[in-house]
Amino acid sequence: MKIILVTASFLAVIALGFAGWLFLGRDPMSFARGATVALAAYKGGDITGVPAGLVSADLVTRGKYLADAADCQVCHSAPGGARFAGGFVFTMPFGSIYSTNITPDKETGIGSYTDAQFLAAVHQGIRADGEHLYPAMPYTSYAMMTDADALAIKAYLFSLAPVHAPPRQDRLSWPYNQRGLMALWNVMFNPDERFRPDTRQSPEWNRGAYLAEAMGHCGECHTPRNLAFGLDNHRKYAGALTAGWRAYNITSNRKSGIGDWNDEDITLYLSTGYAKGHGAAAGPMGEAITNSLSTLAPDDVLALITYLRSIPAQASDVPSIVIMPAPASYKQGSKAASDPRGEKIFAGACVSCHGWTGVSSVSSYATLTGARAVNDPKAVNVAQTIINGVTRKIPGDKFAMPAFGDGYSDDDIAAVANYVTARFGAKGAQLTGRDVAALRKQSTQQPNSEETPHG
Amino acid sequence: MLTLSINGQVRDVDAPRDMPLLWVLRDQLNLVGTKYGCGIAQCGVCTVHVDGQPVRSCQLNVGDVGSRAVVTIEGVGNTPHGAKLQQAWIEAAVPQCGYCQAGQIMSATALLDSNPNPDDADIDAAMAGNLCRCGTYIRIRRAIKNAAARSV
Repeated sequence: MKIILVTASFLAVIALGFAGWLFLGRDPMSFARGATVALAAYKGGDITGVPAGLVSADLVTRGKYLADAADCQVCHSAPGGARFAGGFVFTMPFGSIYSTNITPDKETGIGSYTDAQFLAAVHQGIRADGEHLYPAMPYTSYAMMTDADALAIKAYLFSLAPVHAPPRQDRLSWPYNQRGLMALWNVMFNPDERFRPDTRQSPEWNRGAYLAEAMGHCGECHTPRNLAFGLDNHRKYAGALTAGWRAYNITSNRKSGIGDWNDEDITLYLSTGYAKGHGAAAGPMGEAITNSLSTLAPDDVLALITYLRSIPAQASDVPSIVIMPAPASYKQGSKAASDPRGEKIFAGACVSCHGWTGVSSVSSYATLTGARAVNDPKAVNVAQTIINGVTRKIPGDKFAMPAFGDGYSDDDIAAVANYVTARFGAKGAQLTGRDVAALRKQSTQQPNSEETPHG
Repeated sequence: MLTLSINGQVRDVDAPRDMPLLWVLRDQLNLVGTKYGCGIAQCGVCTVHVDGQPVRSCQLNVGDVGSRAVVTIEGVGNTPHGAKLQQAWIEAAVPQCGYCQAGQIMSATALLDSNPNPDDADIDAAMAGNLCRCGTYIRIRRAIKNAAARSV
């Protein structure tokens, strides 16, 4: 009896300790360990809202800047669909959910939301009908947004043309289909507190923190999740696999993070999707750059960098990035072991732009040498880029890589991804056709059209 | 206004920086020997040389050319390997429909420029991105070898 009691209390302590550890991991800015104050009591100026150049602009213009900074559009638009009309699918191990229509359509959108209802959705993840949203909507991040900023976004959304687009039916397995359970999750993971500036840090740092945490919700992809799918800020920004793409380590670690990127590199990457020697953004990061980060005012980009620089370094299991180009002849350089298929496909479909050296003579955007993706021995983003291609439009320029997903089999894509990582990166990947099939599934935006042939 | 070097001549063109070089060559400079095929760098028919490298001009934004020298099929006959290859092409009667042949000759010239004595594997690696729907690959390989033999 005594043993049972001791064991039980021991287990209870462990469980509480674990819960406490999870709980402590929810605060994205705890790493700074500074004294925080309420926004109203902060003396370092207004670090919320729009940048100086826009403060006298009208509400809708300010709302647009903030909606872009919060990157509402990517997730609330289906590829090829109307902007903000919803239908973007989140594919997870336990099913699929769809983003909703946030155009001001009264019947299918948010046209009848009051300000209070909009704030409840943004801060607490509660819909107008009282149901809980899933945290695919990053309300645990948006909870830090001020009411004024959220309502400016609402004013912008309400200035758009209403689109009639009924919500698509989620497909989740039990118990994930029980929205009510989110109330419990929220107790654990959503403190529902507005941003609290850190008085030991500069106003610029606080502005960057507000942009990264309350608006851009960087951690939703770049911070690993715990078993309960909450963000594990013990490993803040250490990188994670999200929607079938690798969101990289963006801590100040020199080897696996962005510690060795200079400010100019980061600025260029965030504003244009490309920094020389570091490769180009594709997939979800590419979308975030096109729709959100490239729209930030220069001072806001610098503030973001100031904040990023302060994130404690986290090591991750990636080799040092190879910055030497591969030999000019296909006969030299590392071979992707036994499978000659990858080299053959590369020669036919890839080399004309990427070159045998990996340094493109077509466009610096197409240079593989130095890119994080080709140095990831899991080749996740290489495979996804081959499957999905790249279309990036930035002011004054555009670049594109065709999508090869429909033209090549899973085995072909695995072979060429393995070849590319071996030739241009630190270590050849060992992808199989099955891995590629799984990656396709995680990133696809048309889960209903399963008859679509894939190679 | 952009200033390009095409086949040894300075040409000024008024084109948006993100227009593909192929459009500029064909529609603005009337150099129509370079053909349009797939438009996504997968067939090789639009190949030109930029700084000596074979490049798919459908994917190269004209704004990215800069001061690098561009050589097209209209100018490649003025280079030693280009002239030899064109002669070898005629002797081996390589073309059938002919649509891909400008791109084939551009890729073959770049190959001989970097490797004057290619073996079969070298030819395959260099020419794999140039498709020929008539299947003239055997004659292409023979013509490249004949030209290479002449340049030794």
